[in-house]
Amino acid sequence: MRRHLVVLVAVALVAACQRGPETTPDVVAVLASAIPDRPDDPAWNSAPEHVAKLLLQDLVEPRLMSASTPDVRVRAIAGPTEIAFRLEWTDASKDDLPGNGRFVDACAVQVPQKADPNAPDPQMGQAGKGVQIAYWRADWQATVDGRGTAIQDLYPNATVDHYPFEAASLEKGSDAQRQMASRYAPAEGAGNLRGGPRTSPVEDLVAEGPGSLAPAGGSSARGRGVRTASGWSVVIVRPLPDGLTPTSRTQFAVAVWEGTSQEAGARKMRSGWVGLSMRGTS
Amino acid sequence: MARVYNWQLGREMSYWYPESRPTKQFAAVFDTNKCIACQTCTLACKTTWTSGKGQEYMLWNNVETKPYGSYPMAWDLKLLDMLEAGSWNGSTYTGQTIFESAKAGERVLSWRPEGEDYAYPNVGEDDCAGAVDAGMSLSMPHMAWFYYLARICNHCTYPACLASCPRGSIYKRPEDGIVLVDQGRCRGYQECVKGCPYKKVFFNPMTGTSEKCIACYPKMEVGLQPQCFVNCIGKIRMAGYISKPEQARPDNPIDYLVHLRKIALPLYPQYGLEPNVYYIPPIHVPPKFLRQMFGPGVDAAIAAYRNAANDPDLAGLLSLFGATESVMTRWVRRGEEVAGVDDHGTTLVRVPMREPVHVRAGFDKVYQIMRSNCP
Ligand code: SF4
Ligand code: SF4
Repeated sequence: MRRHLVVLVAVALVAACQRGPETTPDVVAVLASAIPDRPDDPAWNSAPEHVAKLLLQDLVEPRLMSASTPDVRVRAIAGPTEIAFRLEWTDASKDDLPGNGRFVDACAVQVPQKADPNAPDPQMGQAGKGVQIAYWRADWQATVDGRGTAIQDLYPNATVDHYPFEAASLEKGSDAQRQMASRYAPAEGAGNLRGGPRTSPVEDLVAEGPGSLAPAGGSSARGRGVRTASGWSVVIVRPLPDGLTPTSRTQFAVAVWEGTSQEAGARKMRSGWVGLSMRGTS
Repeated sequence: MARVYNWQLGREMSYWYPESRPTKQFAAVFDTNKCIACQTCTLACKTTWTSGKGQEYMLWNNVETKPYGSYPMAWDLKLLDMLEAGSWNGSTYTGQTIFESAKAGERVLSWRPEGEDYAYPNVGEDDCAGAVDAGMSLSMPHMAWFYYLARICNHCTYPACLASCPRGSIYKRPEDGIVLVDQGRCRGYQECVKGCPYKKVFFNPMTGTSEKCIACYPKMEVGLQPQCFVNCIGKIRMAGYISKPEQARPDNPIDYLVHLRKIALPLYPQYGLEPNVYYIPPIHVPPKFLRQMFGPGVDAAIAAYRNAANDPDLAGLLSLFGATESVMTRWVRRGEEVAGVDDHGTTLVRVPMREPVHVRAGFDKVYQIMRSNCP
């Protein structure tokens, strides 16, 4: 009898060690004193995992007509003022080179601007009931990680005869040179930094319905994404969402764009709202 | 989708937004018979607007040889294939437009070029339709033909680029109908690149936004024609403003050529965008080919153009092409002279209907020498 008991305990111990992470039906952020910035931080092992099922964005044109990324594994760790999300998903191809007909991998987390039991529309919010979005992009990550910003960094075989703002008569780095270069880069001139040098791979945005996405007033989110053996692992850190405390919850949604499938903007895989709550470390 | 009226199709059609015509509509007439494919227009545009990083491959203005040239590759053939054959009943189009045949989940019927499709802007240059066999040049008409098609954005009345953008980053200026990408708002989704059937929006991978021809609006705003117009060696182009057909004025050069004389025709009107660059079709090309490209008005347009020598008003107006940098919103013929005029009635340029010709004797008596035959 005693021998049987020992065997049973041993089997139970092995099973416990082999069990995957704790999974939760909602996103549960564990409270911690330090927020992990990196996807491989061991702190993530303490956070339970929510597997967010993704749906086709097929509510507004242009729609995504065939499903790509099926789900995202989400973990969250919260501190006194910030929350970090780690999103991991499977993606066989790394798409981080923007170009003509070339699209980049990306992901985003979304929370309601104001916590409300009657949440805004999960698809980018609605008029008067906005959402906040933190958006990460693989090409921005590559630039932050040190990739250059010349055309040859995107198209290695490109040859260029001459850019007028690099004429010998213009002093390198002078105001005159910068102004002339900016005249040939209208988006940059308009302060719309979609490409070029970057300090963060994450952008803060707000929206009140499809098509209304706009930069948030300031930039508070940060993050880092790395390739894994099977896809991407991305950490996005942002201020604690409104209404998220150890005793009150809010909502959370996630979206993924898969570059090879030419996903951008409205053509994306996205989740519905899931609950977002907090708990002390177990 | 809303119902809007497209006069080029002679009928109502579906469009993403309700009809909202600008106060004035930028428009142009290109005479294909005069283009020599020198690409001066292409360079004038390139130098002025697209010499930046990420714009290397971009040609807001390009000139391609038809039937085999195209930039980007097969821009017209691919969509014609997808759209399938449509018919005209007189001047009413009974087929489907790209808005009416949009597939599920899409706003317009469209395809997306790949990077490689932009790599050969001169493909098919000077290639004839059909082989040129020995002795062929000795008999008329020649069976082999090609012609040059100069292309810019058409600043369409119903732009597909604008309809395709899910975030309304493309707008049509109410004051002149010029279609622009808001560079502060664009997020580089490339939906417009896919949606424009003429493939006249380009993605800039360095700035991460889409860019397109701006009709040199800083020039148009002060009454000057765009760079590709004023630098045109062949003097094939005239820029101005077009009225709705029922408001056409004979003293507006564009109205006169498009609405009254009907010698300048839209490019692929069957797409349904009401494009505003109008082409005088080449007179030596089989009408069957041209009807697909410019619609059912081709035969009448060619007949009128061929008769221009006996038609002083038409010949006069055609001689104003390339005569001044200023936008001629009006024109007038006074006997053997034709003048371009602005909105205030100020004469901008005067051109004789026929340049004076002086014939000199073959032998120069002063220098006792035969003159060489210089015009
Ligand atoms: S030609 Fe293309 S880019 Fe220009 S207005 Fe029309 S649809 Fe837009
Ligand atoms: S500059 Fe004029 S003649 Fe030369 S290619 Fe352009 S449109 Fe044709």
